[in-house]
Amino acid sequence: MASSREPVLNKKDYVNSILRSYVLQNGQNYGTMQGTGVLNSIFPQLRKIYKDDEKEFKRVAISNLEFYNTNPQPYPFVSSIMLAMYDSGQNEDDTRAIKFALMGPLAGIGDALSQFGLAPLFSSIFASLALQGMTWAPIPFILCLFGITFGVRILMGYLGWKVGTSIIDTLSDRMAAIATLASTIGLTVIAGLSVSFVKINLAWQYTQVIKGKQQVVSVQTILDKIMPFMLPILLTYFVYWLITKKKWTIYKIVLLLFVAGVLLSVLGVLK
Amino acid sequence: MTYSIVQALLVGLWAAFCFAGQVWGTYTNRALFISFGIGLILGDLQTAVIFGATAELAFMGFGVGPGGSTPPNPLGPGVVGTIMAISIKNLTPNAALSLSYPFAILIPFVITFIFSVNSNNITWARKAIEEGKYRRFHFLANTTLIGFILFAFVFGFVATLSTNALQTFVEIIPKWLINGLSVAGGLLPAVGFALIISTMVKKEYIPALILGYICTAYLKIPVIGLAFAGAVLAFNNYYNAKKPSDHNDSGDGGNDGNSNEEGGIEDGI
Repeated sequence: MASSREPVLNKKDYVNSILRSYVLQNGQNYGTMQGTGVLNSIFPQLRKIYKDDEKEFKRVAISNLEFYNTNPQPYPFVSSIMLAMYDSGQNEDDTRAIKFALMGPLAGIGDALSQFGLAPLFSSIFASLALQGMTWAPIPFILCLFGITFGVRILMGYLGWKVGTSIIDTLSDRMAAIATLASTIGLTVIAGLSVSFVKINLAWQYTQVIKGKQQVVSVQTILDKIMPFMLPILLTYFVYWLITKKKWTIYKIVLLLFVAGVLLSVLGVLK
Repeated sequence: MTYSIVQALLVGLWAAFCFAGQVWGTYTNRALFISFGIGLILGDLQTAVIFGATAELAFMGFGVGPGGSTPPNPLGPGVVGTIMAISIKNLTPNAALSLSYPFAILIPFVITFIFSVNSNNITWARKAIEEGKYRRFHFLANTTLIGFILFAFVFGFVATLSTNALQTFVEIIPKWLINGLSVAGGLLPAVGFALIISTMVKKEYIPALILGYICTAYLKIPVIGLAFAGAVLAFNNYYNAKKPSDHNDSGDGGNDGNSNEEGGIEDGI
């Protein structure tokens, strides 16, 4: 890959394009997903690179108007690499190949980290703090999520600029390890919370003579002694089973729970 | 209870800002955060945040839908549910969650509509670039955002001004149905939890599930402690997984969610 032009982009341009990664999904649609967003995110930088040649700018810009779909958090890695390659006049086919090679892995890593790792983790922590009466919990909640993902964007943009293409394998290894760490912590918290936040209480009770005295015994108390939160776990597992094994849609499951909740309440099974 | 036009405008703006976060990837479109702002605007932060936290947990797994479907959206409960929880007395958070759920289901249709209407925008964008109309390109590249903002603004504005209607609506619902919906509201978080577990879980994460269960059910550890316990397990796994022999064990975990209960029983006895 021979360089055929003197780079014109400076640090400020890269920082600007990292910040512009927030517009990636501003034109999200079912046709080409983030197609317009990719060009939008590097638009001013491309203009700077091709500022003497409008025709060339249009050609490169239009070549970037194509299907693209990845996770927006690590996306600056892609945009920085692309800009570095365009800026040094490297082969455009190579640039495009790298852009698409990164799309899938970054989507996977990004989703694992941001949507399945960070979001549920902080969501469960701060929501339960809020339920315990901490009314300002939403502020640290958003600061943590925004702050960390902002840091990820800056870091990814920096790495994309600095190391180009050769390091993606080791990088994705490391990201995968971080994602696994986040997932383990996240799932521990989720499992702990799911048992206490899914609320099912049996309304059944019966009277029994214990040591000569009439006593009301609720079935729920007995269940709790056998195994606390047995019903929430069973329900969560049942829904999990419906999702993974029966391939039920969320809407169907929600409807089922609505009907079951109302019906079982009316029949006096649950309270 | 009625709210002023100014409050309705503010709620509309807040809803628009929060919903835009779904496009930007800034996490503002979460029930906990939406309800916080609405609580500030409508003057009952406590109730708002308690409801928001309830809805947040119920919607935790709804970041993405399985198989590319658009899942129910937290904007619905975040706006309508919070307003209901604040303006209607004696409505439990669970009941408010149930009652506002239809709006969570409505919003994905709006999103699908915006994405579909917009699906040809690359052709127009290409034309705009060819003709050198860069301003038009920038407009086209932001159409989804604009659609989201406009919709959420109207949604929040109208919802705030319809509190009387919402209240009347809730009052004509018979007591048994409200009780039933409250029970259903207690069941709904199971969907969020199951959804998130189904997207994350692999065999190697089962100890994490059991650990979480033990910590809550038996040890009653608060949630931050839960995260520390998870961190212990995570780092232990990380350093012990360095041995090359036992690292290729990443099945789907489909048929072993059961061990959650089994582990609990073992520890309970």
